[in-house]
Amino acid sequence: MNLASYRKKSPWILHYNAGGCNGCDIEILACLSPKYDIERFGMINTGNPKQSDILLVTGPVTKRSRERLVEIYAQMPEPKVVIACGACASTGGVFRGMYNCEGGIDQYIPVDVYVCGCGTRPEQIIDGVVQALGILETKTKELEESVRLKKETVKEGKQINRRNIADQVKPAMI
Amino acid sequence: MGRQYEIPIGAQHISLLEPLHFKFTTENEKIVKTDANVYYVHRGIEQACCSKFKFRQVSFVVGRVCGLCSISHTTAYSQVAEKLLKIEIPLRAKYLRMLVIELDRIHSHLLCLSHVAENSGFEALFMKTMQYREFSMELLEAVCGNRIQYDFSIVGGVARDLKPQVAQSIMERLKKFVPQLDELMDIYKNNWTLSLKNKGAGAITKEDAMRLNVVGPFARAAGLAVDVRNETEDLLPWKEVGFEMVTETTGDVYARNIVRLRELYVSIRIIENIINGLPESALITETKAFPDGEATVRLEAPRGELFYYAKGNKTQVLERLKIKAPTFSNVAAMTEAFTGNEYGSAPAIIASYDPCLSCTAR
Repeated sequence: MNLASYRKKSPWILHYNAGGCNGCDIEILACLSPKYDIERFGMINTGNPKQSDILLVTGPVTKRSRERLVEIYAQMPEPKVVIACGACASTGGVFRGMYNCEGGIDQYIPVDVYVCGCGTRPEQIIDGVVQALGILETKTKELEESVRLKKETVKEGKQINRRNIADQVKPAMI
Repeated sequence: MGRQYEIPIGAQHISLLEPLHFKFTTENEKIVKTDANVYYVHRGIEQACCSKFKFRQVSFVVGRVCGLCSISHTTAYSQVAEKLLKIEIPLRAKYLRMLVIELDRIHSHLLCLSHVAENSGFEALFMKTMQYREFSMELLEAVCGNRIQYDFSIVGGVARDLKPQVAQSIMERLKKFVPQLDELMDIYKNNWTLSLKNKGAGAITKEDAMRLNVVGPFARAAGLAVDVRNETEDLLPWKEVGFEMVTETTGDVYARNIVRLRELYVSIRIIENIINGLPESALITETKAFPDGEATVRLEAPRGELFYYAKGNKTQVLERLKIKAPTFSNVAAMTEAFTGNEYGSAPAIIASYDPCLSCTAR
């Protein structure tokens, strides 16, 4: 079973509207429709955060939706990629500075790809998602790298101890 | 008597485009009580329009209230600002506004229909409706320059002219669309599988619709003949371009689908009439006045009656702007119409209301 290739060949998308105007949301829906057909990359829109790899967020974060946004992000399994769709998700856009808005989602969760435009075109969204696939691959590699090999070995007397390799290296006693 | 269970749906759910929370109290799978929570996307646009932006900029800001009916918002705001400035806009601008509103209605209704089909579990029909919808997005891009968020109406007129080639391509594409619409009408009307999910679901009576102040296709499906296009003539000449009221009687999801599909025929006729009889005049009325006094405007958005109130005080910044969106009027009836239905059909019923919460919460 090669999990990495599954992830790359069929990344599942989770879409959350954090207070946007629906404009980018209907363009995401248009991406799923036959003309743009995002499913040729194996992408399916799923409603479950626990099954998804890519989080598509639209809208400036309103004060009520930010807890839900962080909650959804926390529920997604690693590795995960976040795409900010549209001007208001990236920076706050026209809503920046309004009393119930935070400017952009990157104040709350780390964002990997920013997609510009108000509203974003489906071509731009697809381009952003394809970029996100590359990031997903590198993130997978980082996650699967051995942590123990990177750490320095621990010397106890004359012997090198490889068992407690995660332990801190003690300062030499002279 | 079974035990009562509370089942939440939302704020994030596969069947919802926007954050919306319903709490159903169910008994033997039947919904007995519903609580709705719609204010997840409140951004504070009204306050910003009265403090941060000048009145000529506000028409671009209110377009961002809702991406689905942005032309209705910009047009309604432009009209209310023109009332405050006491100017009359050119006739060609009025006709072009109506043209874009009707094109917008085609794309919005088809989106809603496809969403109903998806939530009823008919994925193939969702794909088919979305495929047929793309032509309206392309036409809107040709007319206004953007697929969504077309800032077409500005204070005093419209921002762009309709080029003759574009007008010709609209007529050609509409001719192609009519047989596709007939096909969709046939499926939504006669498909047996879809009728199991849609017929009788989420029904509301005419009396209830009247009592709960329902607007838009939701009311027209229940037999209530409410349409702003039928009532006002002063700002946009709807009857001149062939508007016709569409009503159904049963008030369920099926009736709402049929009302939307039949309204598309009316929209197509209106667009053809506008293009055939487009008057020649300037596009914009220039003025250096400042808004003064109070004014209200009503406009038929794809979801129902949109209401704008504005108050000016002879400065660049408005004193007050109030937006009442169609879905706000429908929330009471939305919770009422769930009662007595199966929990399993709730997603299709939610989609058939066509809720626009970014309009409601602003």
